[in-house]
Amino acid sequence: MGAEFNDYLPVVLTVLLAGGLAVLLLGLSAVVGKKARGAPVRDTPYECGMPILSEAHTRFSVKFYLVAMLFILFDIEVVFLYPFAVVFDDLPASLIFVEMLVFLAILFAGWIFIVKKGVLRWQKEE
Amino acid sequence: MEIQIAHYLVVAGILFAVGLTGVVVRRNAIVILMCLELMLNAANLALVAFSRVHRDMQGQVFVFFAITVAAAEAAVMLAIIIAVYRQRQTVNVDEMDLMQG
Amino acid sequence: MEPILAAAGAGHAVAFYAMAALAVASAVLMMTQRNPVACVLWLVVCFVGLAGLFVTLEAYFLAVIQVLVYAGAIMVLFLFVIMLLNLRPEDLKAVALPRIPLVGVVAALLLLAAVVTVISASRPYFGMSVAGILAEVGPTKDSVRDIGLPLFRDWLLPFEATSILLLAAIVGAVALTKRKV
Repeated sequence: MGAEFNDYLPVVLTVLLAGGLAVLLLGLSAVVGKKARGAPVRDTPYECGMPILSEAHTRFSVKFYLVAMLFILFDIEVVFLYPFAVVFDDLPASLIFVEMLVFLAILFAGWIFIVKKGVLRWQKEE
Repeated sequence: MEIQIAHYLVVAGILFAVGLTGVVVRRNAIVILMCLELMLNAANLALVAFSRVHRDMQGQVFVFFAITVAAAEAAVMLAIIIAVYRQRQTVNVDEMDLMQG
Repeated sequence: MEPILAAAGAGHAVAFYAMAALAVASAVLMMTQRNPVACVLWLVVCFVGLAGLFVTLEAYFLAVIQVLVYAGAIMVLFLFVIMLLNLRPEDLKAVALPRIPLVGVVAALLLLAAVVTVISASRPYFGMSVAGILAEVGPTKDSVRDIGLPLFRDWLLPFEATSILLLAAIVGAVALTKRKV
């Protein structure tokens, strides 16, 4: 590595700047800001002046999990497409193209399954 | 001061040991799954280090596959945890004893 | 640009120790945190440290995948599930204490011993200088091509099997979590 380590100086600087800004802002608000003593209503989150209706920790619908899970599995698929695009010219096109077509066809079957099952439908079906 | 392959292997070993300790010690199924992910990553680090030792990129291809498998595994394991939570209202592995004789 | 570190290997060593310390410290914090959300966030830090270690081994593509897929996507899935299950503080207390602390410590010590044995068995590679290997191989110009060529040439079957694995994961996760299928 050696001299190329200098190439990472911008990355290091970015991390330092981002971390420093977070520490600075949190530290400033802790030092400069006043603690609301004796008035518990001041510690409540601000909801346009309305009384708080519910906790922030409400339960989420399982649909959020399903969408996130499907995103990750198809995200992995795209990760495979990236080296595919880079090496496309280095290998015989008949081999690599058919290879990727089979890969995509199998995952497309998964997509058809998802659509048929109505996983991505957000309205109530019943 | 020079970094040797052994340095990477020691780091991988420590991370694997931390992950295994977490799997044994923790009770929250989600945290146990996270410790498993940590163990997988420790193995990945060792694989990349050895791919450098042998000057062979196949080791990095293994890591690529391992990350893919880890994603699929995490998706299904979390689905199982959700399904169990619906049945038992718990993620505590000590309470998941339905199959105990 | 003037070299900020004079010695050739010094930058490598500094980067290695920084990233290794980050990964190990955040792994230990992850294991000991009571709140699962804190565990997830420490594991993200640990994965960033591991990505840094990949960079010091010049496995750039894997480092990017590690941050994008692992720290970025898979950990978000964990956060989703934790919010979905909506664990109340009393649940957290119930799951926080170690089952049998002594067993865990003994298991960890045994495992550490096993790891040391494995490492000493690979003694021929032990003293190899990473900077020396990297200098011998030459600068990594295209780490995506380095992985892509063996992937699409020598690993056809595993590559196609991966798509079936992903398909199985899709079907399995949908079947397990969707209420009325």
